[in-house]
Amino acid sequence: MSNLKGKVAVIGIGEIPTGRYPETAAISYAIESAKMAIRDAGIKKDEIDYVLPTASLFSPAFNTELVTCRIVEELGLKNVKRNCQIFAGGSSSTCALEIAASLINSGGAKTILFVHADKLGTGVSLQGGIDLFSTAGISSEWEVPYGQHYSAIAALATTRYKYETGTTDEELASICVSNRKWAELNPNAFFRKPLTIDEVMASKMLSTPLRAKMSNMLFDGGAAFVITSAERSRDLSNKPVYLLGEGGAVTHFVYSQEPDVSRFGWAKAGKMAFEMAGIKPKDIDVAEIYDSYPIYQLIGFEELGFAERGQGGKMFLDGDTWPGGKVPCTTNGGMLSQGHTGAGGAVALLVETVRQLMGKAGDRQVKNARFALETATGGTYMDAQVTILGTEIP
Amino acid sequence: MDIPKKPNPVVNPWAKPFWDAAREGRLVYQRCKDCGTNIFYPRIACTNCFSDNLEWVQSSGKGTIYSYTVVESNCPSAFVGDLPFVIAIVKLQEKGVQMLSNIVGCDPKEVRCDMPVEVLFEKLTDDISLPKFKPIK
Repeated sequence: MSNLKGKVAVIGIGEIPTGRYPETAAISYAIESAKMAIRDAGIKKDEIDYVLPTASLFSPAFNTELVTCRIVEELGLKNVKRNCQIFAGGSSSTCALEIAASLINSGGAKTILFVHADKLGTGVSLQGGIDLFSTAGISSEWEVPYGQHYSAIAALATTRYKYETGTTDEELASICVSNRKWAELNPNAFFRKPLTIDEVMASKMLSTPLRAKMSNMLFDGGAAFVITSAERSRDLSNKPVYLLGEGGAVTHFVYSQEPDVSRFGWAKAGKMAFEMAGIKPKDIDVAEIYDSYPIYQLIGFEELGFAERGQGGKMFLDGDTWPGGKVPCTTNGGMLSQGHTGAGGAVALLVETVRQLMGKAGDRQVKNARFALETATGGTYMDAQVTILGTEIP
Repeated sequence: MDIPKKPNPVVNPWAKPFWDAAREGRLVYQRCKDCGTNIFYPRIACTNCFSDNLEWVQSSGKGTIYSYTVVESNCPSAFVGDLPFVIAIVKLQEKGVQMLSNIVGCDPKEVRCDMPVEVLFEKLTDDISLPKFKPIK
């Protein structure tokens, strides 16, 4: 177990609305988000001594600019010791948070800025996106030759999970509906019109049993956060959001080698995080569970202890996870409703976790949120990353 | 839309014996001669004990479907002409050996979890034959 509990805090967040911006350059999403996060933190920009941009997938040339310190120069940051990319696909935000926390706790850094920006909505074509995601992280020797791609990967997990638990397609569709209920209240979400189970079930079949409205769509977006020591955070205007627990488990590279596609590594990662934080699932006020497809949100929800295995679907169907429900889940609408921006899907979820704990979530604010759990996973659900954050140190 | 050519497996040098055997209609996997662990996909060293004292063993070619999906739309462009097609994870009878493949030789609607299947080989080029599976009738 790490000794980071209560040692660092997220102090500022920034995010542009997820959308389609064909006329604007991706760098502007990074700069706008970073400016917002630094202003939100209430610090001087030159207090930032470390910048951790994560990767942008739409353009290798743009990504190289992120690697070669463009954000530092564009923002005019004068005291940056290192700019270094941290990239773990969809897990990038959580991995960066844990690494940043260690850096701060060791004295290697004082105030760290993490930034994400990508242009997968208008920077690539629809088929280009499918083709990108039919090769990214998929083994070129053992899976690409069989037509493997991300919808099929989610479908394989869904088929086995349904077979073992008896969960229905309607229950899976209700996860999309639950996320939409939250997105209706989120000005940064792309899909904000009410959604019904019938609409999900009537949408085009992609890979059985996965339908089009059970699939995320790719958009442009950017988000950022600032993290510093717990000690420094107490002098600032925002309510500090402390890192309380973290756990992770890497389970595979090649998807077909995953020992259990109906569970993955969530139980192991969750146990680590809860033990470190010293709290239990029933203490969590907001569960920000990575979606991208409903099956992953459901598996994470159950494996982390918010429902018995096979019983979570009923909670999404019955409204327990909706605004006003007893286990508010994925309150920005997730990738299914806010939209998927590459590594940014989980950045948005982490930013939302902090937003809820700071009490800045507007119409979808969960009242008196003290403890929140956030998850992320990358590649073909290669890892399970769990973070517990809170406004007090239990 | 022009349909691009289907991607051939990008063969790692140490996996060449697997593809050589596949060309001859045999499904093989590695076994560690030091600790006995079955290894698939092919590795440079044993995934249990790091030994490089590995041997190639022929699989029964029989197993069961762990999970599957019928791809009906929005697939990689090279596979558009194959729609609908079945992608499955097959667990071979040999402990620890499982792989992605396509299920062929049946109506996709008949495919089920835990259905028994056996290997067959689909020739892609003179060098490469791809192992696929069909239901055992």
